[in-house]
Amino acid sequence: MAAPLELSCWGGGWGLPSVHSESLVVMAYAKFSGAPLKVNVIDKTWRGSRGDVPILTTEDNIVSQPAKILNFLRKQKYNADYELSAKQGADTLAYIALIEEKLLPAVLHTFWVESDNYFSVTKPWFASRIPFPLSLILPGRISKGALNRILLTRGEPPLYHLREVEAQIYRDAKECLNLLSNRLGTSQFFFGDTPSTLDAYVFGFLAPLYKVRFPKVQLQEHLKQLSNLCRFCDDILNSYFRLSLGVDHFLLKVNHRYLLSPC
Amino acid sequence: MSLVAEAFVSQIAAAEPWPENATLYQQLKGEQILVSDNAASLAVQAFLQMCNLPIKVVCRANAEYMSPSGKVPFIHVGNQVVSELGPIVQFVKAKGHSLSDGLDEVQKAEMKAYMELVNNMLLTAELYLQWCDEATVGEVLEDVDQCCQALSQRLGTQPYFFNKQPTELDALVFGHLYTILTTQLTNDELSEKVKNYSNLLAFCRRIEQHYFEDRGKGSSSIKSS
Repeated sequence: MAAPLELSCWGGGWGLPSVHSESLVVMAYAKFSGAPLKVNVIDKTWRGSRGDVPILTTEDNIVSQPAKILNFLRKQKYNADYELSAKQGADTLAYIALIEEKLLPAVLHTFWVESDNYFSVTKPWFASRIPFPLSLILPGRISKGALNRILLTRGEPPLYHLREVEAQIYRDAKECLNLLSNRLGTSQFFFGDTPSTLDAYVFGFLAPLYKVRFPKVQLQEHLKQLSNLCRFCDDILNSYFRLSLGVDHFLLKVNHRYLLSPC
Repeated sequence: MSLVAEAFVSQIAAAEPWPENATLYQQLKGEQILVSDNAASLAVQAFLQMCNLPIKVVCRANAEYMSPSGKVPFIHVGNQVVSELGPIVQFVKAKGHSLSDGLDEVQKAEMKAYMELVNNMLLTAELYLQWCDEATVGEVLEDVDQCCQALSQRLGTQPYFFNKQPTELDALVFGHLYTILTTQLTNDELSEKVKNYSNLLAFCRRIEQHYFEDRGKGSSSIKSS
């Protein structure tokens, strides 16, 4: 616990500490479990591989992939699931499987495949944090990767029409959101009063969908109707991430005053 | 299926009662059928038995090609053909039969989540069994163990996952676990993982006895060890 834990991840925007789901899952888990993370936001000067992000580095280890990073943190005694029963632990695995199979394809599609969204929001945002000439190549590569993953996990034959796959994945995602909303009910977190791994995953996948401003918003509109899920995201943002967002708010205020005062 | 087609099929399905000659098509047993397809077929059979809907199982070498979607198993009911457990559950529901109507919203969410977990982890294991990729054996065994542990926890001492009445989750879990336990292979590490959980073994035996043997459908029994 003496060695510093550094997390390299994609940065924030639209009120979020990160716009990247997997980075957000790890950041949330760290807050919930009290793990002292030093967050390094990727910008143009970053030399490492961007494909594996988020990446946790300590003195002797480099760990990638949210599940592996969370396991590592648990082994270091940063355990947000300490009070869960065995059944709740089992439920956690099941709900994470549900999110990855039913929600993730539509989230990937909203960010990386839907043309209006990709070209006007996602691509410019990521490209501005990637040095030239990689900025011309990497976003496109991530976009193709997202499309492949969607087609692959749907298990459809290669000739299946993309439009029908799209309809199906959005239907599945809406159903998944409804299921999560039903499961959460009026509770503050998914298992009682303290947040755990499942809360980190749900927050990580929902918050970007909730906050990022896209032209094509069908899934976002559906999420906004599930007020308990929105409240869930806002509560976590306010309780665990407010201090780090304070700086952004201050800057906004300063700019505002600047604009109003006479030249 | 597109939304329009699905609505259309639901309407037609609702119109007619379940016929006596409903048939399930799968590949030939033994050499031809893939482990994962066998699990899928068993899951559908278990589900239909639990709904008390008669079904005749027919093995055909060209079952995949007979299926309009290319997926097996498929059922031929009246003049309609439906493939895979998910759509079959919907189809059966449109005809007024359901195992999960008694569940509340939270339980339904849980049921769907556990079905995804099973699809995620056990399906991968079965694909491994088929193609025997040595490089991933460690990870696969760990995943199967984790999945079985979760299922065992969830089941506890209950007869079925949602206590007294079986649901499509029970059918799916049975299809996969039974297949893993009974498939003859050179490597038994996978079935050994499942055998570590005595309540899962008892669960499989219970369903085998109640829904398969009692109705005169004998097939390879679970070996006790």
